[in-house]
Amino acid sequence: MTAIELRGVTKSFDDVTAVRDLDLTVEDGEVYGFLGPNGAGKSTTIDMLLDLVRPTAGTVRVLGAEVATEGFEIRRRTGVLPDGFSVYDRLSGRKHVEFAVESKDAAADPDALLDRVGLAGDADRPAGDYSKGMRQRLALAMALVGDPDLLILDEPSSGLDPAGAKEMREIVRAEAERGATVFFSSHVLEQVGAVCDRVGILRDGELVAEDSVEGLRRAVGGEETLEVAAAGADDDAVAAVRALDGVSGVTRDGDELVVNCASDAKTDVIASLEEAGVAVADFHTREASLEDLFLAYTEGDAASADVTPADSDATDAAQTNADPTDAGPPVDDEPTTDDEPTTDDESAVDEVDR
Amino acid sequence: MSLPAIARKDFQETVRSRGMIALVALFSLLVAAFAFAVRPTGGNEQFATEVLLSVFIGPFLVTTLVPLVGVVVGYNAVSGERESGSLKLLLSLPHSRADVVFGKVVGRGAALALAVFAGFLLPGLVLIAAPVAFNAGAFLGYTVFAAALGVVFVAIAVGCSAASSTQRRALIGGVAIYVLFVLLWGAVTGRLVGAAGPLVDALPVSATQLRVFLRVSNPTTAVEALSNAFLGEQLFSGDTANQQLSAAAMLVFWTLAPPLAGLLKFDADDL
Repeated sequence: MTAIELRGVTKSFDDVTAVRDLDLTVEDGEVYGFLGPNGAGKSTTIDMLLDLVRPTAGTVRVLGAEVATEGFEIRRRTGVLPDGFSVYDRLSGRKHVEFAVESKDAAADPDALLDRVGLAGDADRPAGDYSKGMRQRLALAMALVGDPDLLILDEPSSGLDPAGAKEMREIVRAEAERGATVFFSSHVLEQVGAVCDRVGILRDGELVAEDSVEGLRRAVGGEETLEVAAAGADDDAVAAVRALDGVSGVTRDGDELVVNCASDAKTDVIASLEEAGVAVADFHTREASLEDLFLAYTEGDAASADVTPADSDATDAAQTNADPTDAGPPVDDEPTTDDEPTTDDESAVDEVDR
Repeated sequence: MSLPAIARKDFQETVRSRGMIALVALFSLLVAAFAFAVRPTGGNEQFATEVLLSVFIGPFLVTTLVPLVGVVVGYNAVSGERESGSLKLLLSLPHSRADVVFGKVVGRGAALALAVFAGFLLPGLVLIAAPVAFNAGAFLGYTVFAAALGVVFVAIAVGCSAASSTQRRALIGGVAIYVLFVLLWGAVTGRLVGAAGPLVDALPVSATQLRVFLRVSNPTTAVEALSNAFLGEQLFSGDTANQQLSAAAMLVFWTLAPPLAGLLKFDADDL
């Protein structure tokens, strides 16, 4: 059976298209990491799984049922840790879990669940006194009520310290071993790499890559990352480098150019820069980290080099999207987007994600 | 059926608020003060329970303060959760949006009714224990009408809250509800009937009948009519029996229609 199935899903708000023609399939028992920068459309997608937001076009099915008509039955079998939620300040942690147990008509022990997420000692305190991390744990306890078939966790590690994030990963693993499907979103690849069977990367509302973490690393990280200290590199020089054979991505980080390329293209890169009149002060190579991998998909144009594209349309679209180092459309250029209602803008995230 | 779960949760949350204790104290204090004002003097042992209720508690407490409290308890029921984000937690559990709206009407209505009962009965107990001829039955019955009026206003305010996408709109709606029903009903409906004079003439009802209908359409005057009939021992009987029936029907209407209308909008919204 298929745990989550989105077909041709588009969601437009007044002036923003948060999700574009998204096809996504998560199989039963799979642990799926849903990645993307803030504002890429992750929360909107999750809100559509929960019927909080209705798609403009396309169909959303969860646990084999239509979300639009069978949301109630779906949510009885689903545990959700929402993003940007708040608790009932006056009710205790135990009351929260009891409410979830009662709502799901489950036979779970609230204290055992609170103990599992590390809140046993705080069960009687009003949740309004909880820290951000404790609220996150409380919502996780509520999500685990009734051993759900599907867990949907939206940015589960936000507000957790490293130890808390580790416990969260352990719980995800345990739930997966029990047989539950886990679908969770994050904007940090490091958090998901360790637990995910498969990762999908969302960018500007489109799935630009979908593979195992190893597969993604092979697709991008089979290459080397070349860091060139080249203060004078202008857009023309960057464009010249990008046009070279074997170069899959170029990003500018201050005075430094970060080039993803095949190892035999390194000399061509340096030569091309010098040819363009750029003084190369220093350069070195390193293996791609998960972070680079993520940035390559979400900011650079590695998506076009993806060997296992999730969707050819999405890949094409990603290719035509300008690289942030281009002087082109300001959509991808973070510093200039502060007042614009683009999906890349942090401040617009709330608006877009609702 | 998850409506009871939401109702219980909302009830627990509402009775835990500090405003709840203040409310019970305020009701008790006012009832006690009014009771002191009508205390029997001299050799007269007869406590004027009906005077206390229909001259003091009725107009000052029930038809002005109880609707206000109802609006305050209800106006942020849905919009508040929507704005804070706790609605996400609520709707990630298996609840339909209808469960949310009506569960809140039940939970908060019950909390307000509890406040009214506690606030009225604490001074009532003193009167029952005191060596005066206090009509406890009339007093208790009247309390039920007061609580019912509060529940109706909670329902209207929750409906408004469900239709509002922001707290600010819900607040404006709540104020409008109070101003319309408590302060301006007679003036507004009088104007309407006056302006629609020719239309009214065409209807198969007299202008007087229409005025009576509009009067009982307002929940506060409907409760007033019913409670006065109750105190006169003519509830659903006597000359005004038909009028009382329509008053009761209108109270049911105001308890159900606003939450339903709010739900229509709430159900269609992206949250």
